[in-house]
Amino acid sequence: MTTFDTAERRRTVEARPVIAELIDAATVQAIAEEAWISLVGEEEVLVPLPGELPADVLSSWVDVVGPWTGSVVLTTGRRTAEELTRALLRDSAPAELEEEDVADAFGEIANVVGGSVKAALPGQSALSLPSVGTGPDVRNAADVCRIDLLWRGEPVAISVQGALPALPAPRTTPVHPTYENEVPL
Amino acid sequence: MKILIADDSRVMRQIVIRTLRQAGYDGHDIVEAEDGRDAYDKVQSEQPDLVLSDWNMPNMTGIECLQALRSSGSTVPFGFVTSEGSEEMRGRAADAGALFLIAKPFNEETFTEALDGVIA
Repeated sequence: MTTFDTAERRRTVEARPVIAELIDAATVQAIAEEAWISLVGEEEVLVPLPGELPADVLSSWVDVVGPWTGSVVLTTGRRTAEELTRALLRDSAPAELEEEDVADAFGEIANVVGGSVKAALPGQSALSLPSVGTGPDVRNAADVCRIDLLWRGEPVAISVQGALPALPAPRTTPVHPTYENEVPL
Repeated sequence: MKILIADDSRVMRQIVIRTLRQAGYDGHDIVEAEDGRDAYDKVQSEQPDLVLSDWNMPNMTGIECLQALRSSGSTVPFGFVTSEGSEEMRGRAADAGALFLIAKPFNEETFTEALDGVIA
């Protein structure tokens, strides 16, 4: 019978894949293109070229929780997010868009892109409802798959980024737990 | 026919209505619901002939709504229009009694494939 070192076993359980092992930029781009054609319009093209995001940006994202845990984040200029909203609403777009309309439409694009990313990942995962605002920070630069695109000449970034920091290197000495909520005496 | 469209996104409800029209399903009464709980209530009050529902919604999800409807004895034809397109979700939807699952992103052809024979 083989006996397992418990620390080794724990590291195996804790070893989580980074996104580059699971999905590549070409797949994320294909997912984005399909979402754009369906939601924004059949003639709408995403050009795989980077552009400089303006100072006033808006992000929409969904979280994926499963064997890989992270967020699928779309970021673009606020005015581009408004243009996307008008494109989605077409004839039913009001003359004056409200913030709620932009959050709804831009969030729904993240929902559709995120759902397709989730479906492309191995194993079973859960998908959150979309959020809109200032996107989550990149936690681990090694766990990011980002594509930069142009839509109607305006930059749109899509980042599939891990929520967890890099796992620490295996330790050889026991580590004492930290008590973050303990009041020092 | 009366079709109930449940999605917490107003924009997506508009897109579903537009796609129904583009797929040739014109002239039906449309009722909208903004989450699963609202859909459940409107199935009782509006007696739709078909429910097209999102999966992930606040208050009550689409699958919870379907399960609650079946538990209450409702046999209303029910299909999902959702970004949850994995085989696991398709299996769960079918097990709960859904007729079909249209994955977002969709187009007119996807709608026709799923709805041909369901919408008169």
